[in-house]
Amino acid sequence: MSARDRILERVRAVLPSREDAAHPGPFLGWRAGPLASDVPGWFSEMFTKAGGEVVRVGSPGLASAWLADFAAGFGTASVGATLPADLIPQLAIAPPEVAELGVSMGRGAVAETGSLILDARDGRRTQLLPPTHVVLVRVEDVHATLADALDHVSHDLPSAVGLHSGPSKSADIGQITVTGVHGPGRVLALIVG
Amino acid sequence: MSRGRPAGYARAAADTIRNKPQIRSAVTAATKSFDAHRREAWSQIDVDAWRDWCRDVKQHVVTHLDRYLEEAEAKLLANGVRVHWAESAEEALAVLGAVVDEAGIRRVVKAKSMLTEELGVNEYLEGRGVHVRETDLGEYIIQLLGEPPSHIVGPAIHRSLDDSRRLFHEHFGTPMDSSPEALAATARQALREEFLAADLGISGGNFLVAETGTLALIENEGNIRLSTSAPPVHVAFVGIEKLLPRIADLSGFLQITARAATGQPIGNYVSLISGPRRAGEIDGPETVHVVLVDNGRTRLLGEDVAWEALRCVRCGACLNICPVYRQTGGHPYGFTYSGPIGAILAPGLLGLEEAMPLPFASSLCGACADVCPVRIPIPDILLHWRERAVEAGLVPASERLGMRAYAALAERPRAFAAAGAGLRFVPWALGGRALPVLGGWSGERAPPELSPRPFHRLWKEGIE
Repeated sequence: MSARDRILERVRAVLPSREDAAHPGPFLGWRAGPLASDVPGWFSEMFTKAGGEVVRVGSPGLASAWLADFAAGFGTASVGATLPADLIPQLAIAPPEVAELGVSMGRGAVAETGSLILDARDGRRTQLLPPTHVVLVRVEDVHATLADALDHVSHDLPSAVGLHSGPSKSADIGQITVTGVHGPGRVLALIVG
Repeated sequence: MSRGRPAGYARAAADTIRNKPQIRSAVTAATKSFDAHRREAWSQIDVDAWRDWCRDVKQHVVTHLDRYLEEAEAKLLANGVRVHWAESAEEALAVLGAVVDEAGIRRVVKAKSMLTEELGVNEYLEGRGVHVRETDLGEYIIQLLGEPPSHIVGPAIHRSLDDSRRLFHEHFGTPMDSSPEALAATARQALREEFLAADLGISGGNFLVAETGTLALIENEGNIRLSTSAPPVHVAFVGIEKLLPRIADLSGFLQITARAATGQPIGNYVSLISGPRRAGEIDGPETVHVVLVDNGRTRLLGEDVAWEALRCVRCGACLNICPVYRQTGGHPYGFTYSGPIGAILAPGLLGLEEAMPLPFASSLCGACADVCPVRIPIPDILLHWRERAVEAGLVPASERLGMRAYAALAERPRAFAAAGAGLRFVPWALGGRALPVLGGWSGERAPPELSPRPFHRLWKEGIE
């Protein structure tokens, strides 16, 4: 008998003496709570509160112009594999291990938690290694709740999804919060549309 | 790293309070701050409804554990994950040993995981000559110090800024007045090299979704994302009770766990891992192993009262509010999990005799039950373990006799009054501690300060 079978056998020996508990159904969260009519605005509020920065532009053209301007302050960039070609900044492209700036295409965002949704197909290292990270998100991909976002993502799961909710932080040294410990110390959400 | 055993609790706790006052102040300050953040975060939500929902989902999982274990296994396998089962720490470590041999692993980065502490992963790997590096900043600090974690969420909360300055000065030559930012930058640089050079990343798992075979990991620094993304092999150790039925269930659990632990709306980074790197993906591990670990959990499931502890999400909220934990931090408990949750898990996972006297390391004030996000009735379970300890003869004979004597006195008002009056003349300073029973109670405690008049006389004469 394998470890698997012995573990399952022990579980099955006990469960008849435990009263079946039903699953309570979907998580209701806020119910009629602070569900904002302005979902991107709610995302901005939550993401900013966690130390992130939000830039809102009306069109892909304006996003491209903003990125070009922002990227001018950096020497090299690493870019996501699914970033539209016209949004790739005019910088020397470098591996994420050494790039000063990372630019990723976001799968979406979550307003209630202030989270960016990042897909492994866009490249994990660009999402994590450069000290500054810009993530493009289409405004229609900003979900109000985590439940909505997970439902959307679950229909097409890559090997890894990362939810990034602000810059990397730690309070492990003397309980004092510092940013940029392992992940990026500066994270910008570029909301397009 | 020496962890001690629960049997040494009273002595170690007394030693901490008497001889290491800086630990008490650091732990008290950190836990009060965690708890204040939790309170603020809970005030923003319909917290009772959230806690009910989380309790009910976990209760459902535990009462259908076989079904969800099999579903998770099937989904993980379909996702290309290699699934292993381990009944004990030895079996879990043997799985790791086989991975190390097969892939020729020399360098390991570790994401913070209490289960790997429970299993003794670091000692095992070091014993096999494998370089292993903790990458959570707090875990890194205590690894350099050679200490076990003292808190589920904040492993180094017993250490001050000056402790870290001294440590980094010794290891990296950084100035003694370095800012926390400068120290963190030093660690970032040292650990960045470790991430990129590692052959294997090891993590735990906060949740494992049966429906999709997805492992969910919560953190703030990015070290878990890096440990599970940069090295070519990832091994995740997951307790068998960590299952959730559906991916939708994460929406409640990711939020309440963060709000209970640190008061954040969600952990700064959440990794949802559904297998190894796929065709068309440009990075990520080629091989992912999930080790489903029992190590006493099925024994705990068989306990008629204490089994509800299997709902625990390891948020640390009960540690943060516990007036007993706050005095010493986690080290004196001599067990991976400390505070109220540790005191109820230890008898289930280790056996009651080995876990003594942890169920007694509580004032039964009930604060832990008030903050538990999955509503584990911790004080009831503590009382249950105490009753079991008395039945099993695991409490000192003097204490049993003392309790019997007390019961006899309490039934006789005159004798009770006389004894109460007599207590006021015990010469504590002059050897009162040597008295039977009283000595046992006062040996590790400050002598009680009694009011000049007993309560029943105050009552009779009128309380001002």
